[in-house]
Amino acid sequence: MRRFKVLLFKELKELLTLQMMIPLIIGVVVFLFIGNIMGNETERAKEPKEIIVLDNDRSDYAQAVANSLTSANFIVKHYTNITTDQAVEEAKENDISVVVEIPEGFEKGLMELKPMQVKTYSIVRNFSLMGSMTTRIVREVLNAMNDYISNEFMKSNFSVEDPESLKNPIKTVDYTLIGDKQAEIDPEAVTGFIMSQTILIPILMFIVIMFAAQMIAVTVASEKENKTLETLLSTPISRISLVAAKMVAAGIASLLMAVVYMFGFQSYMNGVTGGALNQVASMGSKEAFKALGLSLNTTDYIMLGTSLFLSILTALALSLILGAFAEDVKKTQGLVAPLMFLILIPYLLTMFVDINSASPAVRTLVYIIPFSHPFLASPNLFLGNYETVLLGILYQAMLFSILVVIAGKIFSTDKILTMKLKWGRSSK
Amino acid sequence: MEKALIVDGLRKSYGRLEAVKGVSFEVNAGEIFALIGPNGAGKTTTLRMIATLLTPTSGDAYVYGTSVSREPEKVRHMISYLPEEAGAYKNLTGLGYLNFMASLFADDKKQQKEFVSRACEITGLGDRLKDKMGSYSKGMTRKVMLARAVMTMPKLAILDEPTSGLDVLNALEIRNTIKALAKEGMSVLVSSHNMLEIEYLCDRVAIIDKGIIHVSGTPRELKERYNAQNLEEVFEEVAK
Ligand SMILES: Nc1ncnc2c1ncn2[C@@H]1O[C@H](COP(=O)(O)OP(=O)(O)O)[C@@H](O)[C@H]1O
Ligand SMILES: [Mg+2]
Repeated sequence: MRRFKVLLFKELKELLTLQMMIPLIIGVVVFLFIGNIMGNETERAKEPKEIIVLDNDRSDYAQAVANSLTSANFIVKHYTNITTDQAVEEAKENDISVVVEIPEGFEKGLMELKPMQVKTYSIVRNFSLMGSMTTRIVREVLNAMNDYISNEFMKSNFSVEDPESLKNPIKTVDYTLIGDKQAEIDPEAVTGFIMSQTILIPILMFIVIMFAAQMIAVTVASEKENKTLETLLSTPISRISLVAAKMVAAGIASLLMAVVYMFGFQSYMNGVTGGALNQVASMGSKEAFKALGLSLNTTDYIMLGTSLFLSILTALALSLILGAFAEDVKKTQGLVAPLMFLILIPYLLTMFVDINSASPAVRTLVYIIPFSHPFLASPNLFLGNYETVLLGILYQAMLFSILVVIAGKIFSTDKILTMKLKWGRSSK
Repeated sequence: MEKALIVDGLRKSYGRLEAVKGVSFEVNAGEIFALIGPNGAGKTTTLRMIATLLTPTSGDAYVYGTSVSREPEKVRHMISYLPEEAGAYKNLTGLGYLNFMASLFADDKKQQKEFVSRACEITGLGDRLKDKMGSYSKGMTRKVMLARAVMTMPKLAILDEPTSGLDVLNALEIRNTIKALAKEGMSVLVSSHNMLEIEYLCDRVAIIDKGIIHVSGTPRELKERYNAQNLEEVFEEVAK
């Protein structure tokens, strides 16, 4: 046990070097930075927008329409006796992006039920996503004006008390059914909720597995390259502790990276969506989600965790074996690359295809890849398909055991020293 | 006389290539025994089998009576092996490396300290041991490696080409260290492709070529038998 600790410590020291940490730190800083900027922009997008209304009609009615924009969350600068050029100039100087010009004869025309033309001037300062905001402002301004005018018209001419219900006479109550359960909720909210609950799992898994696989293959290959492996193998430490120390160290290091990345990613997502994903659940629909069985209980979490954990272990064992084939560190890159596809394939497939109704060939392919199962687990748990999840876990456990036996064989015989891939190189 | 090592008909094939074709020799306790031969003769393969790193295709070796193929774990407690071109963890200091390796052999902290202090003395590197091994010269690295291999006072030290690639002075220092350790009772099996320098180091030699041992004996015996000036000439005669 003492020897194992010494080995583990040495492996961790090898893995958590500055070279390893710098890309990690940079990655997280970039995530945090972008998240922060996006967050600020999203915040700013929510603030009331300043617009200029150039009123050439100078009527009470035009004044009332302009005022109605204030209640639609705009800050209105109302001008009546300047030219269009002056108004635009004013907007440019004050960082205002929209000018609305109400024409002369606006009130009169509307009273005669003629459609009136309103001119809008948009000042585009950049072409980023936030630059397209002006379009939205213009549309919102026109909607608000149209709403106000038509509502007023209905009120005064037809004595309609509640014009909104007249315009939208049908109201809906949405029910969503999952299995034999049903609840009063919009299906879009359900999908959004599930997304928010599961979006991090594949990303987390991808990062952990890629890091872990790369790291463990590199530690094995670099011991070969630096000729330290032979020395280690001739010492009295058991081969099992040697293998275990490498696996545990790579596991710890990659979990650490996953946690750091998760933290960075979450703040990025919060920035981008303005926390929208998290808000979905809080919109009074918690009860509905519960009624639909869309909450994971402890057993569910244990099953999901087991599936994830087994995936990581499988990746570790697999890359340990792959690493044993490499003579030097450079060769590990090529060896570990196929592993990435094994994760990407189920990730993309489960994202775009409903596996349960896919063709048998696709389904078999997805089930054979051990890394599919955590992707499949969370939707299946939400849907209550426990059997599928359990079978997946069983399969993963079996595969992992087989891989461990193979890895053990390689390390406890002289295969670890004699094995290598001969790509097109003829042996003597 | 007690035998430190008995090698009995060792063979090893890598795929279709038979690198060692039935090698037998014996090393007496407290003796320095050398396997000499050109590159590719099968020296490293033989030493790796004795060091329990490679499994013999057939034959066996016994370290103080313990079979290498049947009880490798037990053998690993008695031997230490210095691989050819043994490398270091570049991020560790010399001292850090010795400490790490000592902790893998030692039963407790006290013994570990004892191992490390012996190793430090053998290297003769003093304060340089506190520097990262990445900054060491070839000679310094080899001294640390040799010190690592013998700090546990193994019953049998297996040293693969301990002086190859070193300058004359460093090679001499290493040879003197090995001799001194043998005097203290350690049995040593070395290999070398440099047949001239080995004369000064060892008690007995075996000449190996193409996986076969051709002759063995003390350097003097061999020179007399083949009427040669040195072991290189002996090899020339033998390899004909
Ligand atoms: N891992 C290996 N795989 C295949 N052939 C090998 C391997 N190691 C050594 N050989 C071959 O075995 C023969 C003996 O090599 P080796 O024991 O290293 O000789 P020496 O140490 O005397 O130079 C050489 O022909 C070498 O190419
Ligand atoms: Mg050799």
